[in-house]
Amino acid sequence: MVVENFWFWQFLGRLHPLVVHFPIGLLIFAAFLELFTIGNFQSKLRPGINALVLGGAFSALIAVLFGWQLAVNESITGELLEIHQQLGFVTATISLILLWIVSRIALKNRLHHIKLYRGVLFITAVGIGATGHFGASMTHGEDFLVNVLPWNSNDSNSIPFEFDLANYDSGVGSLNPDNELKLIGEVRTVLAHNCYKCHSGAKIEGDLRLDSREYVFKGGESGAVVIPGNTGQSEMIKRIKLPKNHKNVMPAKGKLLTEQEIALLTFWVEKGAPWPDNASQPSIYRVAELTPRRPTLPKSTTGLENPIDLFVHAYFLQNGLKWPQISDDKTFLRRIYLDVIGLMPSPEELEAFSRDEKPDKKAELIQNLLNRNEDYSMHWLTFWNDILRNDYTGTGYITNGRYNITDWLYESLSKNKPYNVFVKELLNPNEKSKGFIEGIQWRGTVNASQRTEMQAAQNVGQVILGLNLKCASCHDSFISDWKLDQAYAFANIFADSTLEVSRCEQPTGKFASTKILWEELGEIDSTARRSEKLRQLSEHLVQPANGRMYRTIVNRIWKQMMGRGIIEPVDEMDNAPWSQDLLNWLASEFVDNGYDLKALIYLIGTSKIYQSASSGVKSPDLLYSEDFTFNGMNRRRLTAEQFSDAVSQVINPIFGQEEVKYNPFQLAKSEQIKPEFIRASLVANNSFLTAMGRPNREIVATNRDSQANLLQALELSNGDRLFDVLEKGAIHWRDKYTRGEIISEEFYKKILLRKPSQKELEITKQVLGDFPEPEHIQDFFWAVLLLPEFQIIY
Amino acid sequence: MDHQLRRRDFLKKTSAAAMATMAMGAPLSSLISSCNPKDTISSTADTVILLFMAGGMAHTETFDPKKYTAFRKGMQSNEVLSTFPSFPTALDGIHFSEGLESIGEIMDRGTLIRSYVAADLGHILHTRHQYHWHTCYEPPQSVVVPHLGSWIAKEKGPLNPVIPPFINIGQRFTVGEGEELKAFHSAGFLGSEFGPFLIPDPASGLESVRPPFGMSMQRFESRNQLYENLVKESAMGDFGSDYQRESLKRSMEQAYILLNSPEAKAFDLSQEAKESYDIYNTGKFGLGCLLAKRLVNQGARFISVTTEYEPFFGWDTHDNGHTRLKDMKKLIDAPIAQLIKDLDESGKLERTLVIVASEFSRDMLTEGRPDLKVLDQVDVPDIIEDMKNYGMHRHFTDGCSMLMFGGGIKRGHVYGKTADERPCKTVEKPIKIDSIHQTIYHALGIPTDTHYMIEKRPFYTTPDGHGKVEYELLNTKKT
Repeated sequence: MVVENFWFWQFLGRLHPLVVHFPIGLLIFAAFLELFTIGNFQSKLRPGINALVLGGAFSALIAVLFGWQLAVNESITGELLEIHQQLGFVTATISLILLWIVSRIALKNRLHHIKLYRGVLFITAVGIGATGHFGASMTHGEDFLVNVLPWNSNDSNSIPFEFDLANYDSGVGSLNPDNELKLIGEVRTVLAHNCYKCHSGAKIEGDLRLDSREYVFKGGESGAVVIPGNTGQSEMIKRIKLPKNHKNVMPAKGKLLTEQEIALLTFWVEKGAPWPDNASQPSIYRVAELTPRRPTLPKSTTGLENPIDLFVHAYFLQNGLKWPQISDDKTFLRRIYLDVIGLMPSPEELEAFSRDEKPDKKAELIQNLLNRNEDYSMHWLTFWNDILRNDYTGTGYITNGRYNITDWLYESLSKNKPYNVFVKELLNPNEKSKGFIEGIQWRGTVNASQRTEMQAAQNVGQVILGLNLKCASCHDSFISDWKLDQAYAFANIFADSTLEVSRCEQPTGKFASTKILWEELGEIDSTARRSEKLRQLSEHLVQPANGRMYRTIVNRIWKQMMGRGIIEPVDEMDNAPWSQDLLNWLASEFVDNGYDLKALIYLIGTSKIYQSASSGVKSPDLLYSEDFTFNGMNRRRLTAEQFSDAVSQVINPIFGQEEVKYNPFQLAKSEQIKPEFIRASLVANNSFLTAMGRPNREIVATNRDSQANLLQALELSNGDRLFDVLEKGAIHWRDKYTRGEIISEEFYKKILLRKPSQKELEITKQVLGDFPEPEHIQDFFWAVLLLPEFQIIY
Repeated sequence: MDHQLRRRDFLKKTSAAAMATMAMGAPLSSLISSCNPKDTISSTADTVILLFMAGGMAHTETFDPKKYTAFRKGMQSNEVLSTFPSFPTALDGIHFSEGLESIGEIMDRGTLIRSYVAADLGHILHTRHQYHWHTCYEPPQSVVVPHLGSWIAKEKGPLNPVIPPFINIGQRFTVGEGEELKAFHSAGFLGSEFGPFLIPDPASGLESVRPPFGMSMQRFESRNQLYENLVKESAMGDFGSDYQRESLKRSMEQAYILLNSPEAKAFDLSQEAKESYDIYNTGKFGLGCLLAKRLVNQGARFISVTTEYEPFFGWDTHDNGHTRLKDMKKLIDAPIAQLIKDLDESGKLERTLVIVASEFSRDMLTEGRPDLKVLDQVDVPDIIEDMKNYGMHRHFTDGCSMLMFGGGIKRGHVYGKTADERPCKTVEKPIKIDSIHQTIYHALGIPTDTHYMIEKRPFYTTPDGHGKVEYELLNTKKT
């Protein structure tokens, strides 16, 4: 158990937001009434004011004490808190002084203190108002109040200006080069945020683009939009100043520009619309750090040993969240079996596990599962086939435009190849692993942005580095800072001869350089042969300095086990994680631990959070939204492969020997035990697996759809494959168990890992009777397999 | 009327809530965000039937015949433009190639396009051009691109909630290039719920929408009852609301309703009157047309019927072109004509857009486009000695014929023209796939700039949203 701070202090702390209203109300009202007594100190109001001051000062003291408890117990920190805290202490102290002065006047009739008293009272009122304001800013946000003011309604889009117009004379005279650079930076930022949606390479309305100097001055359909030095004639300036509903107003869609933004653009045009050659586009995108960072562990907390849990605990504290309950043995066992080896535990395994009283039985079990090399590899093959788009059949094979890497992949998994070596062999491949970077070559000519070298750049970017180069392989990206030239320089590493850069399918006549996306990782010798370039690339990318690559892989494995990445989508590692520290720590730990994927799975599996209750969401949007809150493992559906394997395990093998496309046991020695059934990961895609969600591995697939749909339900309801296998299995079960009640109990135990309830027994009895026919058993199997309880990893 | 009545019966049987979810077309896929205007343009069509002549249908041997040269030993291949005589159709001055008389008779009810120009994709692969035809994008692409039918299913939803909005009839995927075929029979990023409902063999279409073979209705009902009772008892109820669990339950409900609905009878071709059935029954494709007609009557949204692509079969004539085309014409002539007539007579043609198209055409000599020839795949002798060499055996991309009927398409109109002399390429009004797609979308009331943000990039129905509506094909004027 975690030792929480003593609950009573925490409780008092949480009363702070309530209590603070007393001193605010009382003291400010006292100051207000005091105004009526000016000129007549001994007014009838006096006793009332004194009571208000007494109550106010006393409650200010209480509020400060409670507030202090709140800050301590809930680990709140920050600049706003410091201001609020100091103001609070000072104000409370002043109010005590005020009380002392009041008592002097009232008891000792020191009337010459009146002026002093009034001054201190007004200071107290102002102080308490300010304290309250900073407190409210902490809870509601700093812009809570000002946000609704009419002149601030466009605020959410605007950017803080570094360029202060007031510093420059808007009349004659020109800017110095430095200021010109700053100015154009701001101008382009405004254009990017407000105009690119309709006026850039992504979308060109009215024939106007505003994403480069050339286009801005070229203008659009109706001519020039910027006339340097002439704001009255500049269409852009005229139209951004129009009122909201005017038919010519710009932006036509969305919010108008703020006054500040309009002033900036106007100023820029007035100044002759300077656009120096060396101006660079300011970044408007979040960019993740490249380098690794190992955060210090949060202070240890009793009951939490796994560092993952310490980070999760810190996150929960910070977000005011509670730890989920620890899962029972059944839930844990089912989860870890499915996650590590893709199979259901048997009722016997569950029983043995439940009876085991060793304190470290979970860790021991996870290790045992990880040691089941073949089962582990056959399960994780599915994940890696999806993301490396490796398949046994598919586009490209017909014209020899694709290579299978299963042999290499399976061996790498079963030997638990260190991930750095794994990546090196994908990037600087041998015959068996070359499929990933060779890509898919359809017959005929393909778009420049889909040539195999560019496919390699895109796929290495997406899979290994968690970034999207798809835009930048055609033109400078509009969704990130990646440029066409950078994408080509990266693609060039995979090329035999130097690539010519094409922009939007038009050759530019420029030849690509040869560079890694982050030059700090190392140089590639552009004159070297392809094999040498690939060797250099592989060495440079797998260095520990490439923190991004290791964050990408730990995030993927986390998603596999926890249902949702620390960053989502898992291919866009520039997005914000819900815990940067946890992600950084996992990545550093992974590197320090020898790039060991099994050790990573072990680490996650042995965490308390993995072993705690799962969490569900009402809509998948919430799962991927930016303000996702982590509450524990997110529920997932069984994959097509897990579903099939469970059916094979418990009912009847769903795939025949003739369907096997990859047989890891081909060379197995005879004494080795052959598997009881064909694992789904070893067969080619078929209509059943497709309906259940296995993708065509024609492009990289890093995410399987977790939602069910009609076509899937139809496949399960009347598809031949499931029908036939249940029909066959029913006969075996009838022969083996005979009695309806035993069949019910056995099937529930094997497939749901629990006994049927009395009610469930009654329901199934109505269908099965005492001595069921195979078709009754078949329908019973079917109904149970369709239960969410079976199909969801919870 | 009949349909209306049955709908009402059907409505009574299902809960309002279930109907509402189905009408919405089930939940949206999570990672795409819509960017489309709420107000849609007015439509002239509700339903689309695509009749696809897979394998490359030679225009000069079908809807755009040129000078006929009868077979004789020792003839020069260069002199052969058409291997069939032609006949006049219902349209003044328009001739079709012999064997398409029934379609010729009804040609006054639609528009004949003679100037479709396929893309230049280099060394030709049928499935690549088919991918391009059906998705409007050239493969490969960096995301999985939706089929025309999936876009329509997504944007318009099912017309009748129990009929899947995208039905694909006649294509098996166990043939050569099967994986390449799968690559475009996909809803891609729109989410698999908008994917094709596959009926490889129309004669057994019913099997796709009825309880498993050999299962009585009574058993089907009790099986479903058992499932529902067990769901109620199952422990997953403890876990509160959860979209996966909800979508599992909802999709099972939908499947049950479809498998059990009166509309499912539309899939049963044995219910069709014998005279009508016999006209359509020219083979798998003909029965596909019949099934399409029956589904339109029950409220289908998008149906594709294909002559089925299988390398070197069907329209893919690498040899014996003349002989084999006789059979192909027998396969398509009566059913296509009858489909148009039946729809016209029932009044359905008014809101149903029927398209007859092929990925490209064929020619005896030119591979690719006359101005941009590509690697030959068939040896064509200069002098023809053998009947097997008499036919259009190379893949020709610069002049293909298409037919369009109903759903706002002009009646009795001819669009575009190819040259009368070899290379018989398009000489007037070339039209490309993005324009064809955009015109179809327009007829359905789907705005031209319909798109989704995929990986933060806009992805339009036609590349960059640049496809232009060809108003000349439509009754309505540009607004």
